[in-house]
Amino acid sequence: MHEARSVASPEMQRIDVSGLCKTFQLAGTAIEAVRDVSFSVRRGEFVALLGPSGSGKSTVLNMIATLVKPTSGRILIDGTPVVPGHATPNVGYVFQRDTLFPWRTVAENIGYGLQLMGVPAAERKERISACLKQAGLQDFGNAYPSALSGGMRQRAALMRTLVVEPQVLLMDEPFGALDTHTKIEMHDVLLRIWEREQQTVLFVTHDLGEALTLADRIILFSARPGQIKESFAVDFARPRNAVKIRETPRYAELFQFIWHSLGEEFMKSRSR
Amino acid sequence: MRRARRPGRTLAWQALICVSLLSIWQWGYDLHGRLPWLVPDLLDPYFVSKPSEIFEHFLILSCLKSKLGVFNGWFNGEFGRCMARSENNLWIATAVTLKNTFFGFLTGVSSGFAAGLVLGRSDRLSAIFQPFITAVNSIPRIALAPIIVLAFGIGDTSKVVTSWIVVVFLVFFNTFEGARSIDEGFVNAARLLGASEWQITRTVVIPSTMAWVFASLTPAISFALIGVIVGEFIGAERGIGRLIIESEARAEASGMMVAVIVLMLVGVALSAVIWRLQAYLLRWQQHNFVE
Repeated sequence: MHEARSVASPEMQRIDVSGLCKTFQLAGTAIEAVRDVSFSVRRGEFVALLGPSGSGKSTVLNMIATLVKPTSGRILIDGTPVVPGHATPNVGYVFQRDTLFPWRTVAENIGYGLQLMGVPAAERKERISACLKQAGLQDFGNAYPSALSGGMRQRAALMRTLVVEPQVLLMDEPFGALDTHTKIEMHDVLLRIWEREQQTVLFVTHDLGEALTLADRIILFSARPGQIKESFAVDFARPRNAVKIRETPRYAELFQFIWHSLGEEFMKSRSR
Repeated sequence: MRRARRPGRTLAWQALICVSLLSIWQWGYDLHGRLPWLVPDLLDPYFVSKPSEIFEHFLILSCLKSKLGVFNGWFNGEFGRCMARSENNLWIATAVTLKNTFFGFLTGVSSGFAAGLVLGRSDRLSAIFQPFITAVNSIPRIALAPIIVLAFGIGDTSKVVTSWIVVVFLVFFNTFEGARSIDEGFVNAARLLGASEWQITRTVVIPSTMAWVFASLTPAISFALIGVIVGEFIGAERGIGRLIIESEARAEASGMMVAVIVLMLVGVALSAVIWRLQAYLLRWQQHNFVE
């Protein structure tokens, strides 16, 4: 089934990255962060970018998100090149640490994107309350983010991105700062949303378990300079349960298989 | 753990301190005559007056009593005549000084805020203007007051300008620092949600700079008042500063003290307004609640 999906026409490519390179200038020395990265993500596919820290996977994501200007290479979203510094329509981004505006209530934060789009107040209110409910934050709409726990804040941040219904979702280790329990809870939240909305997701993580739980495909990055080392299909059935999936033998099998390759890169990045 | 505060007890202490200080001021010098080894020669009423005289002088300056010490009647028109006769009675002086302080504060805050925002968000502009700002900021602004009075005359304009020039830099530097230290994560989040540059300024830059701006507003209101008073010292027809100069010319310590106390009350009232505004606008900063 998975093999059949991979034979896709070019129009089906939602995200198309080719020959992407990035070199940073740091205190006079050039640091090659990303070297010749090419891959594409199909419409509705959930792809995880996995690798040790410093492997350039976040840099790749940020280049796709227009936050970082590539040194060279081409990024197409729905066939259109992205413009650094200008948000691409229909693309949502979830940050590593939550960037909720502390001066806005949770509801006002979630409604921010709608406000920018000029959505009328009545409709805004409706969509905000639907999102609050979905995130289990019904009782916290009028609270300020400082009053919320880490998991609640990240759920609110996720909703701020999702409320405008983006078709492409770029996520930069969004659950990296959460404890294991909260993290798995968030995996379930994200899985439910994705199963319903079928966005195209590019998810950066250094957590193999997380990548296996969520993704259709894992792209493994090597230690710096970041290059694509290998790509793995994750063929668990959908819908998935974030807790149950970890108990299956197939999970253990895939984990071990990929862990070996990932481990090599961890060792490499540590030995420097 | 800290003990719970008991507001009643705090208030009692404050009242006690207040009464003691006023009593020393009122009777301390008499005691010095009898017990010079106990009370130092600091409270000579010739220089610092005493509360009873100050209150008496307050009644005269505010047209509530005539110069002879008789209460002015409201219905027989004596109060009205006194108000009409006196060019710079306490009411007029306070109103004039307040008005000029208000305009100096308003123009200073708005121009300082706008400039701080623009330069704080533009590396290029801030690099160009940086030496000029440092140079002008090194001038003690009050030193410019005589020039300002010379240029703008002894009317209200010179007071507003003096007030403006001391306020504007204060607010500018705070806004500038605030705009510099914005968390770029907020800016990126807004940009990726589709915000234009103007929307980013309005919804991210200004709110996150607010805490910095407010930190400068309480000193700014005092500075605005100082600017106006100094302007009035140099040359004015009306105002509390003028009242002080008049009393000084007559060597009336009590008159000066009335003016100083009115200034203190005005300052406290204006600061209270700012604190209220801050508590409302920065209500998201729970720990900063001022109550």
